[in-house]
Amino acid sequence: MKTFEEKWTAWLDGQLSGRELAEFEASLPDKAAAEAEKTGARKLRQLLKDELGVRALKNEEFFSHQLRERVAQQRDEATRTSAGRRMESSTWWTIPRLLWTGTVSIAVFLVCTVLVMHDKSPSEESQYLTQILNARVDPIVSPNATVSIFEVKQDRVTVLWTEGLQSLPADYAAK
Amino acid sequence: MQTEATPAQADVSELDLVRRCQAGDTEAFDELVTRYRTRVFSMIYNMVHSEQDAWDLAQDSFLKAWKSIKRFRGRSSFYTWIYRIVMNVTIDWLRKKHVKGAGAEFDDAIQLRQVEPASKTVPKTEALPYEIMERDEIRARIEQAIAQLSSEQRAVILMKELEDMQYHEIAEALGCSIGTVMSRLFYARKKLQNLLRDVYENI
Repeated sequence: MKTFEEKWTAWLDGQLSGRELAEFEASLPDKAAAEAEKTGARKLRQLLKDELGVRALKNEEFFSHQLRERVAQQRDEATRTSAGRRMESSTWWTIPRLLWTGTVSIAVFLVCTVLVMHDKSPSEESQYLTQILNARVDPIVSPNATVSIFEVKQDRVTVLWTEGLQSLPADYAAK
Repeated sequence: MQTEATPAQADVSELDLVRRCQAGDTEAFDELVTRYRTRVFSMIYNMVHSEQDAWDLAQDSFLKAWKSIKRFRGRSSFYTWIYRIVMNVTIDWLRKKHVKGAGAEFDDAIQLRQVEPASKTVPKTEALPYEIMERDEIRARIEQAIAQLSSEQRAVILMKELEDMQYHEIAEALGCSIGTVMSRLFYARKKLQNLLRDVYENI
């Protein structure tokens, strides 16, 4: 439902038609005064158009130049702001990233440790399976004598090592 | 509505220019500014009656348009869209400045010129000195009368009478209903008719 003001405005602008126009004009108490108002509104419109019209923009090229500079400045600011946001977000992500990196590092360290330990265990062992099988040398006959038997595990060789022994006792004769 | 470019040029490439602006093309934006700068400046000038303020407000309006060009969806014409920005900027400024009454806000140093919409800056004709004085007086009366309207009424009457915008376009530009536009027009016209009756009846 249009108010009187809306109908009046539409009537002045020629926007009413058909039944709506007839009803509105019938509702006007003084048709002649209304028509005079309408004529006045037309004259006012013409006056405004004639006197205000389009106003020249002086130095229009400078206007555009100034605006271009402001747009460029605004773009720089926007670029800096987005770069700042990227920095902020990357800082925020370093915590999970650090956690992830730390976990991976610990896992790698553990794997390496296990491998190294696994590799080192045999290497710490002498390549000789040192077993002194017998050192029973008569201390009176050969006080400084030692006899050792080594077995080279890898080569499956058994070595008899004697020191300070002047003669091999009969007991040690190879069987 | 009138533009600095011919209507055909504007219709064909305006949307294309807007799309290029949205992709960050400043040259396309420069082209749009060239097309609309005079109309925007003129509209703002008729609202604020100060050339320097109109210049600054036109600059601010275009800059704001550049910043928000990505939000333009093309549901209305670019001019209606930019008018909304222009009106927001200008009405905000007027509210802040509390511009009321006549005299103080007028820029007496302004050179009055009637310019063809499609021309750049060349005056239509050179008037005689007494004609210039007479027109200056009439114009001062009109500006004083407009200054007595509220900023919303000014916007509505200028968009309707000078720009020949439709009710729905004005409503869109001002972010209000068509009924509000028509109501504001009613009161603005009544007031101007009372204030300027002797002027337009004697021309």
